[in-house]
Amino acid sequence: MAKKPKSESQADTDVRGVDLSEVKRLLAFMQENGLEEFEYERRGVHIRLKKALAQSAGTQPPAPLVEAVAAPAAPEGRERAAPTPADQHLIKSPIVGTFYAAPSPEAAPFVAVGARVEAGQVLCIIEAMKLMNEIESDVAGEVVQIFVENGHPVEYGEALFGIRATGKK
Amino acid sequence: MFKKILIANRGEIALRVLAACKELGIRTVAIYSEADRHALHVRFADEAICIGPPRSADSYLNIPQVISAAEIADVDAIHPGYGFLSENANFAEVCEASHITFIGPSPSVIRIMGEKDRARAEMAAAGLPVIPGSPGIVPDEESAQQVAEEVGLPLMIKASEGGGGRGMRVVRAKRELIPAFQTARAEAEQAFGSPHVYMERLIEKPRHIEFQVLGDRHGNVMHLGERECSLQRRHQKVLEESPSTAIDEATRERVGTQVVEALRKIGYSSAGTVELLRDVSGELYFIEMNARIQVEHPVTEMVTGVDLVKSQIRVAAGERLADVVGTVEFRGHAIECRINAEDPETFRPSPGHITAFRVPGGPGVRVDTAAHADAVIPPYYDSLVAKLITHGRDRAEAIVRMEGALDGFVVEGIKTTIPLHKRILADPDFRAGKFDTHFLERLLAAEAK
Repeated sequence: MAKKPKSESQADTDVRGVDLSEVKRLLAFMQENGLEEFEYERRGVHIRLKKALAQSAGTQPPAPLVEAVAAPAAPEGRERAAPTPADQHLIKSPIVGTFYAAPSPEAAPFVAVGARVEAGQVLCIIEAMKLMNEIESDVAGEVVQIFVENGHPVEYGEALFGIRATGKK
Repeated sequence: MFKKILIANRGEIALRVLAACKELGIRTVAIYSEADRHALHVRFADEAICIGPPRSADSYLNIPQVISAAEIADVDAIHPGYGFLSENANFAEVCEASHITFIGPSPSVIRIMGEKDRARAEMAAAGLPVIPGSPGIVPDEESAQQVAEEVGLPLMIKASEGGGGRGMRVVRAKRELIPAFQTARAEAEQAFGSPHVYMERLIEKPRHIEFQVLGDRHGNVMHLGERECSLQRRHQKVLEESPSTAIDEATRERVGTQVVEALRKIGYSSAGTVELLRDVSGELYFIEMNARIQVEHPVTEMVTGVDLVKSQIRVAAGERLADVVGTVEFRGHAIECRINAEDPETFRPSPGHITAFRVPGGPGVRVDTAAHADAVIPPYYDSLVAKLITHGRDRAEAIVRMEGALDGFVVEGIKTTIPLHKRILADPDFRAGKFDTHFLERLLAAEAK
């Protein structure tokens, strides 16, 4: 199929303006080549496709061993996140634990999407070994994405919040 | 039996534990640093949790992160592997407090064995021969004379707070004693701020012999024979084998029984290794104990047919030794070569990208490795690339199999110590079983000429 993606002729920086037919082509490409994960970026459009893996390793064929080599310094996080635009600052978890959106079960969440936050403001709690750790924003701006659900486990480096930074850090 | 185990380690030992868990039908949780994101232990485990940046202190040694991962994954037990937190009594205690079984001995036993002096005292009290020496610090010249009488010559005077060869003196004749005692004290004071020295018989041309042990949580302990580990470079083992050409059946029986008795007295459980030094007359002396599974455990597995890692898991789950192992039969001879990512002559580390990797096989050949083609050996951890183990009906067959296996082991893109192992195996003294802990030093020095 030689259909040209529409977005090629536009300077499209809106992440929601992805051409579906292009995504379908990518999926077909992945299937044909037995890929489980595919990521690319072009003109401000960043697409990442990942096949959902079954939890039980017993029925799963082994992952292909030949893979892109990770550079020893700061390899990409294995985020469960949606694509992030260039101006979105990610707040990542510095510890392993359980994510809590509010200070206590009955209280309102610290922040919601759209909230304005200051640097140093508490965004969430990550509980590790019965200790509640307050996670602060390191930038001022607007919360545009929350990547984790309340009560879910998080690992080191996992994206928690996407903040559109405004002004100075 | 446990339903889920977290493997608090990486590399080949993480894969080893993973394999044991799979065989027992236990779900596995891998932890990894950012440098190990694409490592095999992460890919083969049922679940994987990133616990920190590359530095070990921030990841694999980070107790809160490891425990937190164990909690969110809701595991029943943690296997610590070797190195990292495997002999950290504090970690074992934190596991217990978090209601997670630590697959290893109890925290108090780990603590005892971790303090060299204390381990020596406990084993001596339990009846194991230790290197004759002063009971503690030798305070003055008169005591020095007395100790020398009891301990015998040759002996070593060593700085109590020291290391690195300073504040150490060898005494071979009575008239050397007092001058050596005085100089050692002066040197110790200067180097370490304390003149305290102790004295110990010098074991010349020692052989490093270690006994593999296994204990359950019901007070039963057994040994699974010895390993010869004299081939070392800067106190790092390079090649190990079992049985030792220096140990006969009667000695194995006698020392093995002593070791088992001593460990039973202190309530040892799980796998462990008792290290001894053998002097030229054949006497064996306890030096220290490693309260964990060891790198060279496959050597014992090959000659006994016992899966030591599965056994660790089973005894930790409460099973009895008699059901887990039964009686042990020793068959044939096994050798292990540790293949490191190092220059085989300068020993400079050679981390990097492996471009070709072909592993030998066939009867009596075993390879334990987490490396593969296109893998990256990171610079943050140890340099072990693979353990190559061969087994044969006798030592000659194990050797010839190892030679063939080394020839068939292809690693490109990084440097490895495969050429060093070939040189060792070709050496007439090695082949004759004639060596001590200085063997490798001499071999390397001879080649340098």
